Amino acid sequence: MRIKISYLLSLLVCLFFLPATAAKGPTYAIVNCRIVSPPLPVIEKGVIIIRDGLIEAVGIQGKIDIPEDAQIIEAEGMTAYPGLINAHTNLFLEEAQEPAQQAPGATRPQAPAERTPTRPDLHVLTQLKPRKSDIDNFHRIGVTTVLVAPQRGIFSGQSVLLNLNGEKIEDMVVKNPVALHVQFVTERGSYPNSLMGTMAYLRQSFFDAAHYAEHLATWKKTPRFLVRPVYNAFLEALIPFVVERKPVIFTCNNQEDIKRAIRLTQEFKLQAILSGANEAWRVGEELKAAKLPLLVALNFRPPTTSIYATRGEAIRRQAEQEIYPANAAELQKLGLTFALTSLGLSDASTFQKNIQQAIKAGLPAETALKALTVIPAQLLGVDSFLGTIEAGKIANIVLCKGEIFDPKGEIQKVWVDGRLFKIEKAPEAKAPAALSVAGSWRVTISSPMGEMEMTMELEQEGSSVRGQLISTYGRWEIRSGQLSGQELTFTVSIEIMGQTFEAAFQGKVEKETMEGTVQIPGGTADFRATRIPRSV
Amino acid sequence: MKRTLIFISLLIASTALLFAGGNLLLKNGTILTVTRGVIPRGDILIMDGLIKQIGENITPPPGVKVIDVSGKYIIPGIIDSHTHIALAGTNETGSANTAEVNMRDVLDAEDTSIFTAISGGVTTIHALHGSANPIGGQNITLKLKWGKKAEEMIFQQTWPTLKFALGENVTQANRQLSPGEERRYPASRMGVVAFIRRELERARNYLAEWDRYQELKKMKLLNRPLLPPRKDLQLEVLADLLRGKLVARCHSYRADETLEFIKLSHEFGFRIACFEHIPEAYKIARELAAEKIGISVFMDSWAYKVEAAEGIATMPAFCTQQGVLVSLNSDSNERIRRLFNDAAKAIKYGGLSEDEALKLITLNPAIQLGVDKWVGSIEVGKHGDLAVFNEHPLSAYTRCDLTIIEGEVYFDREAYLKERQEAQKASPKPKATGGDQ
Repeated sequence: MRIKISYLLSLLVCLFFLPATAAKGPTYAIVNCRIVSPPLPVIEKGVIIIRDGLIEAVGIQGKIDIPEDAQIIEAEGMTAYPGLINAHTNLFLEEAQEPAQQAPGATRPQAPAERTPTRPDLHVLTQLKPRKSDIDNFHRIGVTTVLVAPQRGIFSGQSVLLNLNGEKIEDMVVKNPVALHVQFVTERGSYPNSLMGTMAYLRQSFFDAAHYAEHLATWKKTPRFLVRPVYNAFLEALIPFVVERKPVIFTCNNQEDIKRAIRLTQEFKLQAILSGANEAWRVGEELKAAKLPLLVALNFRPPTTSIYATRGEAIRRQAEQEIYPANAAELQKLGLTFALTSLGLSDASTFQKNIQQAIKAGLPAETALKALTVIPAQLLGVDSFLGTIEAGKIANIVLCKGEIFDPKGEIQKVWVDGRLFKIEKAPEAKAPAALSVAGSWRVTISSPMGEMEMTMELEQEGSSVRGQLISTYGRWEIRSGQLSGQELTFTVSIEIMGQTFEAAFQGKVEKETMEGTVQIPGGTADFRATRIPRSV
Repeated sequence: MKRTLIFISLLIASTALLFAGGNLLLKNGTILTVTRGVIPRGDILIMDGLIKQIGENITPPPGVKVIDVSGKYIIPGIIDSHTHIALAGTNETGSANTAEVNMRDVLDAEDTSIFTAISGGVTTIHALHGSANPIGGQNITLKLKWGKKAEEMIFQQTWPTLKFALGENVTQANRQLSPGEERRYPASRMGVVAFIRRELERARNYLAEWDRYQELKKMKLLNRPLLPPRKDLQLEVLADLLRGKLVARCHSYRADETLEFIKLSHEFGFRIACFEHIPEAYKIARELAAEKIGISVFMDSWAYKVEAAEGIATMPAFCTQQGVLVSLNSDSNERIRRLFNDAAKAIKYGGLSEDEALKLITLNPAIQLGVDKWVGSIEVGKHGDLAVFNEHPLSAYTRCDLTIIEGEVYFDREAYLKERQEAQKASPKPKATGGDQ
């Protein structure tokens, strides 16, 4: 009788809950594997049972019953890790189409609302189009979960956490929204078009949100003799972050950005997480005092404002190879809490290479693993069901021959929400088919002061690019040009009327066109380029 | 008793932390104090960043670094009261009133212009918002501690200042409009005055609105809900100007619009610390002196635009002689290292005395920034900010050899040249790439 009741109960449970689970697959039993999931103790020979997308049981071999219906995965000599969490990406983001061509001759940028959105109410989830190749590439390096954040505007919107478990975005959502994203960028043409303006704009927005919330709350309590607040979607979207202290993620491109973010956080008592921060070690003291967690991007390019970027190419390159990779190691020594992300990197394999490089520069492998599993899970508020291999948590598991961060390690299987993905080697010979940017380009830079036309002559050797930018003001040499996948980056020392400044170009290359942004001291402009056909 | 002792020692420790300057003894230099005459051969002892003793044959306290500057000239660190260096950005051009922006938010401690400046003996700068708008942003004063963090450079004791601007820049008179683009208001000199008046009027109303709210709050009347007014950062700053917490620094060129701005300051009761550039100052020197408003000017640069047409080389000297507080500024990341040359020109053009000429780049800008108690001359108790020259600083052949801020050497020409030579040896010139060849 008792058996019958429990049977009925489990049937009921199945009836009620199973239809709601996102990804349901066969039951798996990974046997004879080493299980590494810090901060939990390592299990040298263990078993993991995966059922209905969750980890049903985990433990020492022999102490866990293997369900009869389970598909056995023999994992002798292999190690199971929690699926890696990449806590800041712009994956699947369909760039909003550039506004339709402006009337000929009208170089004045359009009204703010039509251009760069500064939209705290934007949920990036509504903008995503999953791409299988991106998912495959992340699986190949063991990433099962990504935070996707919007990438345009000062308030760029709210992010979503996704499990890379298949095709449909609805199935992937783990948490939405996760955080409000803020960037220290400027608006083209209109206010604020300077960094100081952006700071004032942020402060005023936070004040206004708090005031709007107070007005709303007072009015709800005593609606008589008080005019109701005028509905404002922008301010309403900010209330959870300003009043209820939901997490705000600031993208910090250099050490001064970090200090700016710390100041705003303290002024408005925000719950902040600082992202990017690839020179965070330079403001270690400030970060320690502020006790703010970090999402450290493994992007080793020194920011254009850095002293390492302004004293010549030799110093810049050395910094990129030796100094910036040690950022995470330094932060670990300082005892700061951080996750590692791929923000600013062009692809998953670069992320993997850079994780290895950070470890080579002194970051303990275990810290790196935590920074890609349990720490981001905590920072994003999902550690009760993600981030470690524990019974009851989501079955995101990576099975690897050898160590996961060892260049010789081979990731063979990945489970995401209990769904098994077998890893195939990356398609070889991607390089020969790669783009060539060599040739002449017509460049248009759109700045607050209007548009500027230039030509650009590029030469390419492997992934390194050099050449010249030619304008009516002079010819300037293109330095540290790099083509990585479709992403082209280079810097130019622009000399105009006795003033010299560094401009850092970053763009996405298609066959005949490229477009992207130019960072100059105190602002960002956009550029487009089209190939000039070779005259015969 | 014990507790008081602990308290006192804590207090001492904390003030020492607040002002952790260096210890240094400069020996055997010719000291141009600017305010107390010339000491032909003397020593300056700096302890904890402050000048402790000036005299002859000072014995160095144990552990204090000694630099012999025999045959050299020591002057107070040069102060440039109008620059835009050490900043990530100059103008917020998105609006004609941008009082809410603060240069404090965009400090750039790694701007190599800082090094250029200290190589010319400059120790303190006033880093301003640009002149794109009638009402610009809040400015900041910095000590040029090259290599230190931005926060450590901030000169806390200065007056908070707010930038205003008049004339061709703010009316965008020299800007080519794109087809279809509308000219920004205000686009004329009368418009500028009207615009600033309107904005100050708004600030006045804003103050009144808050006062009314405080009153109502005190009365605790009627069971009616009471909501505070919206906090407006732009008007907060202008309200602070009206409350006297900020002083105005106003970019102006022509005499007429300058007088208009002075009238505005009377009308609204705010203080103008200084007019910037003002090549026509000689036309209104008496008015400026009577108003006790300083001017921060170029020594001999004019006629680069219509409103700068009527400049004259003797203007800084003439205005000084008329009792106006004059300082010379660079407004440039290159000319900033030649301010001592500019000062010397005021002797040739207008006949200032050596002390008067030196004051143009030391004491006078210090007064204009409200920090003459701390810097601007070589006196006991002031900051140990000094510049050492190989020849008389007003000679055409002089160069700055050492720049010292609060007792720490931030520029040492000899050490720098050696360092550069070694760097060149370590990495020989890179092969030339690109170019026309």
